[in-house]
Amino acid sequence: MKTGVKILISIIICIIVLVLAVGIGSVYIEPFDILKIIYSNIFNKPLTQDIEANLVSIIWKIRLPRALIAFIVGGALAVSGSVMQSVLKNPLASSYTLGVSSGASVGAGLVIITGFTIPLLGKFTLPFIGLLSGLIAVYLAISFSAKIDKNMENNTIILIGMVFSLFINALITLMTALSRENIERLTFWQMGSFSLKEWSDVMILFPIVVICVISLMRFSKELDIMTFGEEQALTMGVEMKKVKWILLGLSAALTGSAIAFVGVIGFIDLIAPHVVRRIFGSSHRLVIPMSMLFGGAFMVVCDLIARTIIPLSELPVGAVTAIIGAPFFAYVYFDKRKVR
Amino acid sequence: MFISIKGRLDKMIELKNVTAGYNGIDVINDISLELAEGNNLCILGPNGCGKTTLLKAIAGIIPVKGDILIDGKSIKKMKRHEIAKKIAVMSQISTIYFSYTVFETVLLGRYLYMKGNIFKEPSEYDKAYVEKCLEAVGLLKLKNKQINTLSGGQIQRVFLARTLAQEPSIILLDEPTNHLDLRYQKELIDHLNKWSKEEGHSVIGVFHDINLAMELADSILVLDSGRCAGFGKPEEIIANNLLNKVYRMDIVGYMIDSLKQWKSFQS
Repeated sequence: MKTGVKILISIIICIIVLVLAVGIGSVYIEPFDILKIIYSNIFNKPLTQDIEANLVSIIWKIRLPRALIAFIVGGALAVSGSVMQSVLKNPLASSYTLGVSSGASVGAGLVIITGFTIPLLGKFTLPFIGLLSGLIAVYLAISFSAKIDKNMENNTIILIGMVFSLFINALITLMTALSRENIERLTFWQMGSFSLKEWSDVMILFPIVVICVISLMRFSKELDIMTFGEEQALTMGVEMKKVKWILLGLSAALTGSAIAFVGVIGFIDLIAPHVVRRIFGSSHRLVIPMSMLFGGAFMVVCDLIARTIIPLSELPVGAVTAIIGAPFFAYVYFDKRKVR
Repeated sequence: MFISIKGRLDKMIELKNVTAGYNGIDVINDISLELAEGNNLCILGPNGCGKTTLLKAIAGIIPVKGDILIDGKSIKKMKRHEIAKKIAVMSQISTIYFSYTVFETVLLGRYLYMKGNIFKEPSEYDKAYVEKCLEAVGLLKLKNKQINTLSGGQIQRVFLARTLAQEPSIILLDEPTNHLDLRYQKELIDHLNKWSKEEGHSVIGVFHDINLAMELADSILVLDSGRCAGFGKPEEIIANNLLNKVYRMDIVGYMIDSLKQWKSFQS
């Protein structure tokens, strides 16, 4: 199949998934009505009489921002994962390997426990501190690796990242154990959720993710070369150290800002890039944008399952992605080994 | 087939008291040599003598004490992309985690010349150049294959094509014949000889197979424990029995014995 056709099909699937996610729930809404409501809200046109007012607010105020946030977060995590895998030349790597999620969890945990709010940021204090502490964790991990290993070898970075993560995770466990009254909020944050997301969240997250993804796409060729190894990349003219810092920083920012809004959600960053490479090949010119689409659509589906599979209750979406993601990932990984 | 407009240079590459190593420990010590345009250098020596380290130093991958000049310019003063336009390294096969097509892989060699918009297709010139390089290594027919479906020998040739696509004046090779059967070993050496002689380029290679080294080399550097044990024309190195000394065995005798054996099988 031609690549163009594949891309077109992917885009259509994304739209269908989004429409379904907006339509399905305790109240079912016809796809055509959804499109009408969205159209009228965007272009400020009056609606036809047959659509009830409460449907409009369900779509426009609740489900659409939620689905969009899920899409953006899923896409951000997937893109970040694809970049980390190539930069670290390790199919198992992700931003989580470098301690982004652990760092963000500590920051968010402190905000939850202390109830501390930054005056100007208000309800965005939690995501802001989450992002900041996630980035600090990655910065510490990478600069520490650079200190002990001048060439910033991948294995050093991965090992240091893992050690950092484990250390910080211990802090989180301690925090959870010592602050029992907040245990539910802490645990839920660490499992991820898209509930109560509003347009204001979309408006903040969307530009951050778009800027990071476009910046990463500009490094497609460097990423392609880096998958063949660092020394090779150096001799082919890539300024490795600089490029590596930029790429790791941008993908950490993607993961950090995504999970800062919705909590820790695993596996999308790991599996989405692998699926995309199977379908579109390894060239990052396609892997990055397609990971965005696939990760986004996958996350929307997971969130749909999380909020509808048990009526009147909601599962943490992180659990759903892992339940679907883990066996799938095992399949991809072991299938690869068999071929080798 | 590769266009070259450079004149003859007596010192295409010059090593001045080069010392280098890892984590502060010197592996190679005080190596000095010169190589003229169109000449090939082979580095011989026992395992662990610093052959690969020397290649890495020349490629500018590891920091060096002393200096390395290319066309009279110190690599210490050159940016990565400037070095890469002069020196290309043909990599060893390592695990391929993410597969690309043969064409895509070789096209990566054009990285230095393809700056610009990510959505821009590679230029007709770049595409044609890649096809030329693929033809030179006999892989044009496989250009749409995924590289992880190829044999070790084919992958090695894909990497050679990518190295050529970089349009370097010097190619560095680290045991390039590892995965190649005898015919492709011979073909690789012939191809490199043609490339260096016709274009006035240079190949610097590390070899274990002394016979292959003799076929490619205009001069040979023998390393022993990181130091230069000898540098000269192949016949001088053989005549001096230098190899026997550094390999601590009777290399010349061994070669002659095996040839005698071949001869006896024939008669």
